[in-house]
Amino acid sequence: MRTALVLLFLLAVASVPGSVLPQEGIDPAAVTQYYAAHPALAPILAKFSLFSVFAAPWFAAIYLLLFLSLAGCVLPRTFRLVGSARQLPPRAPRNLSRLPLATSYQTALAPDAAVESARQLLSGKRFRLLAGDGWVAAEKGYLREVGNLLFHIALLALLGSVGLGGIFGYKANRLLVVGQQFANTPTALDVFRPGRLVSPADLQPFSIALQNFSAKYVTSGKLLGQPSSFDASLRYDAGPGEPMRSYSLQVNHPLRVDSVRIYLIGHGYAPTFRITDGSGHVFNETVPFIPVEQTGLTSQGVIKIPDASPDQLGFAGVFLPTAVDQNGRLTSVFPQTLNPVVSLIAYTGNLGMNGGQPQSVYQLDTTHLRRLPIAPMPLSPGKSMKLPDGAGTLTFTGYRQWISLAITYDPGQLPALISGFLALAGLILSFMVRRRRVFVRACAAPDGTTVVDVGGLARSDAAGGFETEFAALAEQIRQAQDGSARTVEVPPEPDSRRGSDPRTQTIGSALAAGNPAVNGSSSPADGHDSAADGHHSAVGSHHSPAAGHHGPPGSRDPENHVPSAGNHDPSLADVEGE
Amino acid sequence: MHVNIGLADTSNGCLLAAVLLYALGMLAYACDFAFAKQRLIPASASAGEPALVGAGVGFGSAAVALGSRPDAGVGNARPAAGPPSAQGPWPSGFWLRTAFSLTCVGLLAHVIAILTRGLAEHRVPWGNMYEFISAICCMAVIVLVAAALRFHAYYIGLFVLIPVVFALALDVTVVYTSAGPLVPALQSYWIAIHVTAMIVSSGLYIVGAVVTVMYLVSDRSRRRTAAGLPSRTSGIVLHLPSPLVLDRLSYRSILFAFPVWTFGVMAGAIWANSAWGRYWGWDPKETWSFITWVVYACFLHARATAGWRGRRAAYFHLAGFVCLMFNLVGVNLFITGLHSYAGLG
Repeated sequence: MRTALVLLFLLAVASVPGSVLPQEGIDPAAVTQYYAAHPALAPILAKFSLFSVFAAPWFAAIYLLLFLSLAGCVLPRTFRLVGSARQLPPRAPRNLSRLPLATSYQTALAPDAAVESARQLLSGKRFRLLAGDGWVAAEKGYLREVGNLLFHIALLALLGSVGLGGIFGYKANRLLVVGQQFANTPTALDVFRPGRLVSPADLQPFSIALQNFSAKYVTSGKLLGQPSSFDASLRYDAGPGEPMRSYSLQVNHPLRVDSVRIYLIGHGYAPTFRITDGSGHVFNETVPFIPVEQTGLTSQGVIKIPDASPDQLGFAGVFLPTAVDQNGRLTSVFPQTLNPVVSLIAYTGNLGMNGGQPQSVYQLDTTHLRRLPIAPMPLSPGKSMKLPDGAGTLTFTGYRQWISLAITYDPGQLPALISGFLALAGLILSFMVRRRRVFVRACAAPDGTTVVDVGGLARSDAAGGFETEFAALAEQIRQAQDGSARTVEVPPEPDSRRGSDPRTQTIGSALAAGNPAVNGSSSPADGHDSAADGHHSAVGSHHSPAAGHHGPPGSRDPENHVPSAGNHDPSLADVEGE
Repeated sequence: MHVNIGLADTSNGCLLAAVLLYALGMLAYACDFAFAKQRLIPASASAGEPALVGAGVGFGSAAVALGSRPDAGVGNARPAAGPPSAQGPWPSGFWLRTAFSLTCVGLLAHVIAILTRGLAEHRVPWGNMYEFISAICCMAVIVLVAAALRFHAYYIGLFVLIPVVFALALDVTVVYTSAGPLVPALQSYWIAIHVTAMIVSSGLYIVGAVVTVMYLVSDRSRRRTAAGLPSRTSGIVLHLPSPLVLDRLSYRSILFAFPVWTFGVMAGAIWANSAWGRYWGWDPKETWSFITWVVYACFLHARATAGWRGRRAAYFHLAGFVCLMFNLVGVNLFITGLHSYAGLG
């Protein structure tokens, strides 16, 4: 268990850089930015996979070792649990008063009948029983270990489910401008991350068209500009020849086609341009711009005209949905297009697209470009800017909206969900159930009555609570016996049989909060090893660790003898630990 | 949907009143510590031999009271033999009664503040950091009141209210966000499930952490005193129950909080699966809730490992709490991710 503890803590520590540093799998753009900001440090961090912590070999090493140690711990315990399915409780200790919880009283019932009455009561409460001459031993709470094991096995299953998704599932992204459509093929997807055993032929053959998109925003008050609803109307079919259907795609309401889910994860504007080059060719372009902030949805983008002549043309700029002049600077103050404006810097030269190198459509490689000598000017829809040196004209003709879709297929989802709930169920079970033993002994007293001793022991009761259950149980046993005897109880002298031990009396009183008859056994020095039976010798020393921990050994401070400390039972080491 | 301004203002007023009442309650708890002569756990009064037992046993009996209602269970076994444990759940002593009453009235105002906020916004009132902190503090006070009534743990009042008042004061001044609708990503019934679970477990975690600090202080002071060394905190510690009782109280809170937190993380994963297309994506908030979960799991394992119980396990407990707080404050303010709903900046 110590190994597992160290690995568990290591796992927590190892996760920290993954949340502090930008991660490739979550925000690749942020990683690029980090490289630009820390050119010296970034390659070193990359060498240690710190930009993809959760896919790093050392991270995998930690969790695989952890799960290995878990499996090595859980499997033998499962076998032991199965083996102990019919295990009977140990024999009742000779002297029950030395157990953490004990009570004693007299009844008119004969010893054998008293034990039988207790046995029936405990049997009715589904205790496992072992009876002998004048005693009965009962144990209950094996479900605790069941819950414990269920929890840990479910965690292993959860890891397996995640792996399942990673092998047979895939993730993809696609940006879709209003009016466009696409089919689910790797070439049509902007980003495609297949699992290890996924081939393009495995992709479900649906196709989706975006008919309209509407975004609503808060139009007044302090939350001005905060979005209040997004709605994309889609037309889709599950494959060629399948009927077309409509769907209103919203955040939190993904579209399901053929066990694939399609999510609305982003939106923005795609301004449209008509560009005439120096030779008179006309190009109509719809260019998605990427939002760089959310309050005004200021978006950046680039236009590339590789076929322009005599030289290629490139533009980089911003789109402002609601442009307002703030101290000479144009700023967008609202995400809806109340006053849409674009402002562009024009370039000419070589876009660098012919070298065969893949290039981002959202970035302009300006190394072989020359900036045209024209100041960026804000253009409203319909307005044009004439490029100098006879390079042509650009007209801002309008804009459309785009959405970005996440497409995921994860066959591990349902198994993960089931494992998660099983883990939770196991956790609750192992926290709620306590393993406890109850012993009853009855022997004839000289005065003709029967002295009944009831003792109790919680083998896993870290938070306490067994005292209550024990007291109630002892009371029920007594009532059952009295009911059988149909006699009126003769109240005995308090602690008459143990009057010689004032310490027990004191603690017993304190423990019982007003009931001297329920007594706690006392100091660790008591060493009630004798009280425990041979094959469970560990039980005997069960409250010494608590005492050892919370005060000097042998301290007279009675708090150390509060018996419910039984929770820190080293015998747990063979039940829980390893 | 329109925000009901009148209700929103009522909510703000009630929250302010709650902060003031908590602050007064905090002072009253402090007065109780300072002025109450014999500040013992009331359960000791119902113990068999008050003359014989003295302070230590008083606390020892509180350990039992912790595990069982002082007025139920154990006392029934022999009702004739001992004095009736008619103490009931209520606190004794002027200052303690005042403090507890102020706490309860403050809690009432706080609950009204949260309810009116929700009614004003026509939604679950925990959609941004301001509302979330307010709800967590409310939960912490609910746990405080419940622990007091159930376990007679009135002694934690001062130490729980100090962070609560501090957090709420920051909440109404610095973090304040005016009432409004939710962003589309939060418009789901899962907010009622996921965030509520997080609030409930966070409130329990806060009380657990406070009690753990009390445990560490009390344990250290008692060990120093026992070793004949001076202890600066012995004055306070005299008013506290034994470290064992504190340890068990904090452990109890984790026994509740940890499964609720587990459930909350799972509910969050289910929600993420329907909002973002994956159930787990190592978003900073997810990562830190995972770290928090793992560190609290470390604490639970440490408690079950020989040689790690007691103080060492308590340090794990506090480490888990630091992760929880970083997840609430640090991740919201310093790290951008999908969970950027704080409504700040």
